[in-house]
Amino acid sequence: MATLPPSPFDRDRRNRRTMMAMAGVGLSMLALGFASVPLYRIFCEQTGFGGTTKRASADVQVREAVGHTMSIRFDSNVQPGMPWQFYPEHRTDTVTVGRKDMAIFIAKNMSDRPVTGTASFNVTPSQAGAYFTKIQCFCFTQQTLQPGQEVRMPVLYFVDPKILDDPDNKDTQQITLSYTFYPVEQDKKPS
Amino acid sequence: MTTITADHHSDHTHDHHDADHKPAFFQRWFMSTNHKDIGTLYLIFAIFAGVVGGAISGLMRAELAQPGIQYLQGWANIQHAMLGAEPASLDQAYHLWNALITAHGLIMVFFMVMPAIIGGFGNWFVPIMIGAPDMAFPRMNNISFWLLIPAFALLLGSAFVPGGTGYGAGTGWTVYAPLSTSGSAGPAVDMAILSLHIAGAGSILGAVNFITTILNMRAPGMTLHKMPLFVWSVLVTAFLLLLALPVLAAAITMLLTDRNFGTTFYDASGGGDPELYQHLFWFFGHPEVYIMILPGFGIVSQIISTFSKKPVFGYLGMAYAMVAIGVVGFVVWAHHMFTTGMSVNVKMYFTAATMVIAVPTGIKIFSWIATIWGGSISYKTPMVWALGFIFLFTVGGVTGVVLANGGVDDVLHDTYYVVAHFHYVLSLGAVFSLFAGFYYWFPKMSGRMYNEFLGQLHFWVFFVGVNMLFFPMHFLGLSGMPRRYPDYPAAFEKWNSVATHGYEIMAVGMVIFFINVFWSLAAGKKAVGNPWGEGATTLEWTLSSPPPFHQFETLPVIDDAAHH
Amino acid sequence: MNKVKSLVLAGLLAFAPSIAMNGQALAQDNVAAAAAPAADNAAAPADSAANATEAAPVAKVAAPPRMKPTEGIGMPKPGEVTLQEQFTSTGHTARWLHDKMLLPLIFAISILVLALMLYAMWKFRASANPIPSKTSHNTLIEVVWTVLPVLILLVVAVPSIGLLADQYKPAPKDALTVKVTGYQWYWGYEYPDAGIPEFVSNMLTEEQANASGEPHQLAADNRLVLPVGRPIKLIITGADVIHSFAVPSLWVKMDAVPGRLNEKSFTIEKPGVYYGQCSELCGARHGFMPIAIEALPPAQFDQWVLSQGGKLPGAAPAAAETAQAAAPAAAPVADAKL
Repeated sequence: MATLPPSPFDRDRRNRRTMMAMAGVGLSMLALGFASVPLYRIFCEQTGFGGTTKRASADVQVREAVGHTMSIRFDSNVQPGMPWQFYPEHRTDTVTVGRKDMAIFIAKNMSDRPVTGTASFNVTPSQAGAYFTKIQCFCFTQQTLQPGQEVRMPVLYFVDPKILDDPDNKDTQQITLSYTFYPVEQDKKPS
Repeated sequence: MTTITADHHSDHTHDHHDADHKPAFFQRWFMSTNHKDIGTLYLIFAIFAGVVGGAISGLMRAELAQPGIQYLQGWANIQHAMLGAEPASLDQAYHLWNALITAHGLIMVFFMVMPAIIGGFGNWFVPIMIGAPDMAFPRMNNISFWLLIPAFALLLGSAFVPGGTGYGAGTGWTVYAPLSTSGSAGPAVDMAILSLHIAGAGSILGAVNFITTILNMRAPGMTLHKMPLFVWSVLVTAFLLLLALPVLAAAITMLLTDRNFGTTFYDASGGGDPELYQHLFWFFGHPEVYIMILPGFGIVSQIISTFSKKPVFGYLGMAYAMVAIGVVGFVVWAHHMFTTGMSVNVKMYFTAATMVIAVPTGIKIFSWIATIWGGSISYKTPMVWALGFIFLFTVGGVTGVVLANGGVDDVLHDTYYVVAHFHYVLSLGAVFSLFAGFYYWFPKMSGRMYNEFLGQLHFWVFFVGVNMLFFPMHFLGLSGMPRRYPDYPAAFEKWNSVATHGYEIMAVGMVIFFINVFWSLAAGKKAVGNPWGEGATTLEWTLSSPPPFHQFETLPVIDDAAHH
Repeated sequence: MNKVKSLVLAGLLAFAPSIAMNGQALAQDNVAAAAAPAADNAAAPADSAANATEAAPVAKVAAPPRMKPTEGIGMPKPGEVTLQEQFTSTGHTARWLHDKMLLPLIFAISILVLALMLYAMWKFRASANPIPSKTSHNTLIEVVWTVLPVLILLVVAVPSIGLLADQYKPAPKDALTVKVTGYQWYWGYEYPDAGIPEFVSNMLTEEQANASGEPHQLAADNRLVLPVGRPIKLIITGADVIHSFAVPSLWVKMDAVPGRLNEKSFTIEKPGVYYGQCSELCGARHGFMPIAIEALPPAQFDQWVLSQGGKLPGAAPAAAETAQAAAPAAAPVADAKL
């Protein structure tokens, strides 16, 4: 490859071919940059990265790890300026690992207009995310509250017994589940 | 390491047109397709941008010389007066601080180091060193350069439009969401982002051009394993640019749409994640620091070899160490995010992977020392800068090993220790290699010798200045001073004051540099084709100084018996 | 070729975490042992304080006097050149790693490189050595300077990975949990289990700081009050943009990210005032939202909790959720709900 044919015509053709290949590489990286949005979400959901929780269907069968309990703490946030009260019914709860449990969050619209909200969520410690499984959650859909309306919103979840075999979670005694409610603005499209 | 058999000086005699025929002024400098002229344009641009970026750091050091706010309010008032706005509030003055640190970072990275080291020296010497008449795509080369001008204008202009609390983009060069989205209303951040888009597009075109040139345009006999290390370094850098910059482009495009079109890629309220931006930014950002330093490695290798009159020690190891650094550079990005709350396994991986970079870097440092070992060393100005580079880069490198430890980084992250670390590898690493290259090739580019005394004086003044400027920052960082602060507790005064005095000394060094440049251009001794003697074996030294407008119209043939 | 070897070895080094896991398990056991007495300590004052609650109405308890900081403790010393004195177990381990391992190592490497360079620069100057050697290879030495750094890094990696495991050891479930929220530009602190609602902490002006004998830029009006010797879990989030909660003398730095929660656990060893500063660029007053922690002995901490109208663990059985947090035996109660 090193001995270059001296014909400028050949060289120009080779140059163009290389340029097209390299432009292809650059465009692929650009595409990868945008594709990282769904890829990152899938990665987080698969691995529990950053405390992303898992999701399971209601008929999921889990083995209860009798005698192994986990403390669950519930944390709630509302974006500053959103006229909602939002708090867990109980701050903490103790559950048997593998048993389905329900937690209630209470939300109240303090304003005189209907407000729609959507919640972001994660758990800490982040290595517990892969084992915290939600079956049903108010965070899966948007919630609209009429003026002054108060609702009790359930989260049905369980802690996957596989957490007991994970050396990274050897010392995990308490998992904190956190929600932050945001108002849904009409001009914001979910990405 | 290569010997040339063809007598290409005969080009002048039998060509169908004169190799030195130059177009008229406007044509030559504004519509240039000549790699040497474009290289010169890049260098002039980079020096100008460097003066702007350096002046901004001067403002920062002046404010930080003592605790309290001394000048910031006054500068903000001037800025507001220029715009016909009311005198600045205290918060607006603080915002100006953030705008200054942002501008300093972006200018030095995108408009000083990259244009100088890749655009300037890369354009000038890559074609010559591989025995090519020009770059593969001369017109694209022209576009690459001229894209920088609107990019720079946009960035400078952003300082004079609203950017949240005050005027200008106050997001830091990292432009983290949500500070850069919901946290910075006004067009300043949009302008800064567009500036990065344009500068990035120019760099990507440049990268494609370099890759094509190096892969296809080498003279007969110039195999990949005979290319000078500077060409290797530009090849690796061009690939890093090509792989990293499009990701940045995607990341900041999504910032723009989040800011202006209601998307929520990085906004938790719509299901996005601000951490995703950081991942994308640093996927670009970490290779970016190698983009700035790898060509410097190449330059230093050429100079060390020339002035030791010895071939580079362990040529293949040196070349592949750069490839290794480039590859590993893509899998360590999250060490910039150790405090974002990542899980323990991720942090362990990034700690270990980051430390791995020390291995190829160590190979390079030791190979340079082995190159001078047994040599016949003459201490001309470029050599002195290159030797300074080796030691200071080592100092910057070892603090990188400290920072690589995720557990230790918990206290050092975002402190002046990090500032000290990256200024040692960039401001004392990349910039020293820039000066080394500038003095090394100044006779070749201008046809005149620089003043040796002023060059040596520049080195020593600059060396003392930057070390006094940046070494105390290690102390500040260890004892806890966070970066991007316009004010600090009284306990940090001592080392901040020393650093500011260091800046003053460095500034004197820069004055000496400019005197030297202007004096040498006007009255320097005429340079011969090869002023450095037998140690200078690369092809640029076989040409006249300055080289003919078009070189190698008959390709040189590289001898197969070349040794290394 | 040597570069191939270097890549293989580099790959090995990347697997260092799994090798180091054994060492990490050891480190964790030590920490667990050390943490146990601390938990006992925490339980005792809780009981005594519970009695105190019955004796006195909650609101009447006076807050302990504002603690004076000790010069040079929990804050930078003037002209300091190294890390601040540490008051947590992670801080000690990390400082040991930095001072006793990394710092000597990087000094040794820098001096080695400098010495080799200076020697070669003197010995092989053109006037002393007019004929350069033509050596450009030496496989042995190239292998050595590839393998040696790998070995050194492996040695560094073991304690480094151990430190990481130590830092990530989650707090026990009866740890004191405090919610920390970063705002533009102040901090909010809430004690969910004690029922102390969020209060905010702003920087003191220079006059105020001088008047209370505290360092300006670090002093804050309402401090984050924490107990000594009891495991603490901070759950940290941001309200608007990303902030970072950092206290150098406790070896704590954790980003406060809007829309997600992070947690950080530690146990403070000594009473004192520990200062920190926001460590992620968050807008105009990023440099002016300091963190001030007041670490009190357990009894005084309980007094402080009561003075804020808060409840102590186990004090009021009526507050079921609070009791559950403190009492591991409450599991069946929770299960009964479903």
